[in-house]
Amino acid sequence: MTLGLIINRNGQTSGVEISQNFGEFSIAKSELEKFTGWQLKPQGLCIDEICVPVRDSSALTDGKNIDLVEFARLTNQNIVIDQQRKIAALGEHADSRNQSMATLDAPDFTLPDVHGRQVSFSDFNRRKRLLLAWSSW
Amino acid sequence: MALDADETAVREWATKEQLTMPVLIDKFHVIADLYGIVNVPAAIWIDENNKIVRPADSIPGSDMFRSFTNVDSEIHHNLLRKWVRSGERDLSDAAVRDFQVKPNQDTQFARLHRRIAIALRERNQDEDISASREHLTRAEALAPLDWTIRRGNMPLVGVDPFGDEFFKFVGEWSQAGRPGFKLGTGRVDK
Repeated sequence: MTLGLIINRNGQTSGVEISQNFGEFSIAKSELEKFTGWQLKPQGLCIDEICVPVRDSSALTDGKNIDLVEFARLTNQNIVIDQQRKIAALGEHADSRNQSMATLDAPDFTLPDVHGRQVSFSDFNRRKRLLLAWSSW
Repeated sequence: MALDADETAVREWATKEQLTMPVLIDKFHVIADLYGIVNVPAAIWIDENNKIVRPADSIPGSDMFRSFTNVDSEIHHNLLRKWVRSGERDLSDAAVRDFQVKPNQDTQFARLHRRIAIALRERNQDEDISASREHLTRAEALAPLDWTIRRGNMPLVGVDPFGDEFFKFVGEWSQAGRPGFKLGTGRVDK
């Protein structure tokens, strides 16, 4: 086992143990949900009400570990791996991002404020909101 | 929302200006991905029903850079006041969809490389800093005309975001037909 890092699609980072013996970038099967929100069930890979069938699970799991590269392929998510530094970043495929943007539903997010407190956009629901993106650069 | 890997700069400014609104730090550019933001400053309007009623557009807070941007900041301010007071908006849903900046796969992968670069930078070991630069370079190759990538990377690698590299980038971006925010709120042609 080596210590690695996962950046999930919401930009949350977690240290994780990477298995060296299976797949390209594998984590314990029991930790998949914690890091990605997805679960491996008899009917396939599932999140909320959605399940994606897994016809041949041999590339996805050896029973104990889940390969995140295969997981991303099956669930149509993007993944970038830095094998040498043991970092994986998962993200939304452009097609699903375009679909979600077209609904015009404002997606929720949670980010730290300047005092380090976690604040969600949905904390300000039911009122008009102006979202300003700026920077120091 | 500060699209910023430099938390200290954000905190100092927010404290100095005594801002009363929530100021969040988005070092991984999460909202750039969620809302299709390709440059700052950008503004998006969201109504009481959690619907986007105005998509990301380049919105200067003042006329400080007007000679460079040709944008009269007051025009957006007036549209915003009208919407807040009366609920009257200037764009239909169809227009909002039309003016959204839709990402392609290159943009999405560029954003992931940038996230890895930021995570490596925070580890702050010598080897990680050079690895971080590799990922920033990859991000720029994938999304060479995205300001949050190209210009946003500059301070991370010690390049002046108002210097020669910046003007070279602006040249490339203009040459390519100024892709990005399509709405152009407040642009006053010379």
